[in-house]
Amino acid sequence: MKQAKINFIDLLKPYSKGWVAISEDFKRVLFYEKTLKSLMNKSIKSKQKVYYYPSGDNHSNFVGCHANNYSI
Amino acid sequence: MPIIIPFSPLPGLEKSGILVPMIPVTFSNGIKDFNTFALVDSGAERGLISTVIADSLGIIWEKLPKQTGFTAAGQFTFRIFKDLHISVYNHEFLMDMNIVDGINAFRCILGRKDLFRREKISFECYKNQFQIEFRKYN
Repeated sequence: MKQAKINFIDLLKPYSKGWVAISEDFKRVLFYEKTLKSLMNKSIKSKQKVYYYPSGDNHSNFVGCHANNYSI
Repeated sequence: MPIIIPFSPLPGLEKSGILVPMIPVTFSNGIKDFNTFALVDSGAERGLISTVIADSLGIIWEKLPKQTGFTAAGQFTFRIFKDLHISVYNHEFLMDMNIVDGINAFRCILGRKDLFRREKISFECYKNQFQIEFRKYN
């Protein structure tokens, strides 16, 4: 069973620094807020299952990345 | 049957061509749930979450005993939260989670003691994907 690719670059591109709520199928951003707290309040009211993720960040330091050759 | 998951592109890594193994996860402490995405890290002994995620779960992490960990990049301070409930692709289990302060809010990692001990994980970097095969328990 192959899952669809989650493309965080496409999902997060339109959003400045804050948090997004991504749809259950991982294809759309349903909500955006500056803070996680306000985003969670909005998402809970909608009663939709969403996945929270920060926007507007550079995630390159999430993985072990060498600046010169970008190898993990 | 294994679940095949394509590696994901992340902001900041566009020019590098690096794709990363990410999975959707749901954490629960019995009171609150938090859905997010975790990096599957075979090099991590145990998983970790940021204090931002811990706060969202209502975990009073400041009152947990402080410990010091070591990485190639240096030391870090963490607390262990016991028996955090985790759901990955509808497979559920408990794990002891490290809560690390002073790291980026999006940091969420699953490592060997939590994910890898429970599932068979095969990285197929030549296909830019990985597979998770959940073990069956009696």
